[in-house]
Amino acid sequence: MRPWLLMLVVCGSAGLAAQAGGPQVTPQDLADGLKDPGKWLTYGGDYNGHRYSPLTQITPQNVSQLAAQWTFQTGTLGSFQTTPIVIDGVIYATGFNNNAWAIDARSGRVIWRYRRNLPEEMHLCCGAVNRGFGVLGDKLFMATIDAHLVSLDMKTGGVLWDVELADYKVGYSATVAPLVVKDKVIVGIAGAEFGIRGFIDAYDAQTGKRAWRFYTVASPDDPVGGKSWPPNSDAYSRGGGSIWVTGTYDPQQNRLYFGTGNPGPDYYSSAREGDNLYTASVVSLDADTGQRAWHYQFTPHDVHDWDSTQVPVLGELPINGQTRKVLMFANRNGFFYTLDRDTGKVIVAKPFVETTWAKEIGPDGRPQLLPGHLPDEDGTKTCPDLGGGTNFMSPSYDPNLHLFFVTARETCATYFAFEQKFRPGEQWESGGTSRPRDQKNFGALRAIDPITATIKWEFRYPSVSASGVLSTAAGIVFAGDGDGNVMAFESRSGRNLWHYQLGSSMRSTAGTTYMLDGRQYLLVPAGSTLTAFALPRP
Amino acid sequence: MLVAASVALGAQQPPVPNPAKNNPHLGNRESIRSGMTMYRVRCADCHGLDAKGYRGPDLTALLAGEMTDEKLFNTIRKGVPGTDMPASQASDDELLLTIAYLRNLTSTPTEPVSGNVENGARVFAAQCASCHRIGSRGGRIGPELTRIGTARSRSALIREIRTPSEWVAPGFETVTLVTKDGQRIRGTKKNEDVFSIQVMDQRERIQGYIKADLKDVIYEKESLMPVFTGERLNDRDLTDVVGYLTSLRGGDRASQ
Repeated sequence: MRPWLLMLVVCGSAGLAAQAGGPQVTPQDLADGLKDPGKWLTYGGDYNGHRYSPLTQITPQNVSQLAAQWTFQTGTLGSFQTTPIVIDGVIYATGFNNNAWAIDARSGRVIWRYRRNLPEEMHLCCGAVNRGFGVLGDKLFMATIDAHLVSLDMKTGGVLWDVELADYKVGYSATVAPLVVKDKVIVGIAGAEFGIRGFIDAYDAQTGKRAWRFYTVASPDDPVGGKSWPPNSDAYSRGGGSIWVTGTYDPQQNRLYFGTGNPGPDYYSSAREGDNLYTASVVSLDADTGQRAWHYQFTPHDVHDWDSTQVPVLGELPINGQTRKVLMFANRNGFFYTLDRDTGKVIVAKPFVETTWAKEIGPDGRPQLLPGHLPDEDGTKTCPDLGGGTNFMSPSYDPNLHLFFVTARETCATYFAFEQKFRPGEQWESGGTSRPRDQKNFGALRAIDPITATIKWEFRYPSVSASGVLSTAAGIVFAGDGDGNVMAFESRSGRNLWHYQLGSSMRSTAGTTYMLDGRQYLLVPAGSTLTAFALPRP
Repeated sequence: MLVAASVALGAQQPPVPNPAKNNPHLGNRESIRSGMTMYRVRCADCHGLDAKGYRGPDLTALLAGEMTDEKLFNTIRKGVPGTDMPASQASDDELLLTIAYLRNLTSTPTEPVSGNVENGARVFAAQCASCHRIGSRGGRIGPELTRIGTARSRSALIREIRTPSEWVAPGFETVTLVTKDGQRIRGTKKNEDVFSIQVMDQRERIQGYIKADLKDVIYEKESLMPVFTGERLNDRDLTDVVGYLTSLRGGDRASQ
């Protein structure tokens, strides 16, 4: 009898542990953003996409003492583009080929690892990268490079459910970090270089059942966007509009904001006359239904592969004596925009890098095009290049200083276009680019005043960078250059305060910051490593 | 058993036929146009818009010679080690389109190696070898030239000898570092970021410096390579040395 009794006791305490012994992330926790100093729960830190931490232990005065505490190596090929999630002393990070790990935040040691059995032949423009987990309850959510959405058990890495978003065999893939809102997991699809039709989906977090889908390429029966594609043509069905960077959410309006990708094919555009809605736009969607509230198209009829898949940053700004709800957007096309968040109308828009294709954004909100920038067989030179004025790297916004920090790229390219037959599953860009001879590209961290769309300061890098930015209430901006340095700057002035050579440049993210055992950590993904920094123990 | 197993394995893996063996795009007008754009995007920067060579070799000449389409396909796919020619990541079909375009160009016969190669070698030893290495001999301040004959057209070599500052290869840009005590270190820049710079000085010392410890970093437009004017290198010696350089197609490394 005794062993039986013992088992009962063990079962009983295990049951108790399941109730009390682990974190249960609630929708309110997600809405609270970075209020709990021990957590980093969403891609942008909070629903606004600020990547702005209230933590102040690391200051402009002591940041030069930051030191590496540990380094985690994936042991696999491919680079991180992830924003790690941090909960209760554990880091949850996704990596190349959808490898994923739970890591002890105190030591850098692995707790569990997830490996995905990926198909041999996939159709990818840009590598098997991944930008991070979403989280709710004790479940993690990851979009996969073979175009699935998978839910993992936070305690074990075991698969809870796995649903197909679209068919990877014809060029669909997914790299975006899911955005969790209430009981839904919001994701989007990539693959616009393969003639896909993009969409944003919502799935039930418990079951993986699809709740709604919004197509980022309007069908002919869409009363608003339908006429922006050629009549009597199926061009829209290959129209691109990828979603590969996480959007933002306004709980008061219950609206999602997502930037959408380039139209397809990228460069040769004769078979897709029209504005090509809702590509190269920001869309505002009802979070419960996926219904479109409004859209604003940054680049109508894009021919330069300028996805608008940057983070739509939400904020409130004093403009002409009024507090306005705004959406701030540093676009790949080289312009910085502040939009009215209720209507999608432009409040102010100005270039933040050299732009040669448009004179300005007109009173109707459309770019006023300059001649000579339609790619052709002989090539046309345009600034910025296809990588854009900025790209998928996350910006950061300091709501106290009203400063928007972004990694800017100063580049130009010669753009070529030619007709290319569409074949499902084959790359379908219909053109390409080359760097003009003697073109010297460079990068910079820039601070933009979103009220006037003017640059307040910059710190130049010798080469371009794809690093995201993180800022803190202590008045520090963390960013990375294209040469492997993670750096700290004074938010007000752009003065460099600290740097550390990581051995590989940061891409997409600038890392996360959180408190653990009374110390503020900075966690930086770069190459195939995660490095945790902190001040020396007192 | 072992033998049987390896035979079976061998039978399971027949050699993959070279895609260029049956190129469906050859002679197809639409394909040739697509191939032209791919060429312009990916190849023209080095090989010239007319494919007659700029920094890279004259392709019209190569194609008039013994270059088969299969060999060309492999060269594009794998690149040429030891030169600027990278391995291509593009799809097989894009490579075939590019080949269809190149085959449609008017080919010109290969330039024979001109000049007196023996005299060229002597001129090289006297004028160039203190900075340039061939195989295991020569200096290291300038780029190694062991395989330069596969990497540069004749006209590019002449241009780079007569006007060396017109284009300076990455990793060989001239810099002068001024230390806080006023010492000047002149050399070629191997690497650089915001905070540090790595150079080879004129005594071939490779060394990194922290910029904050320096008084100044001076980026110079002029190459460290002297300008070989007609007075310094007459036209006959130039022809001979270029002839010698174009004959360098692998040397020590290829025979390893």
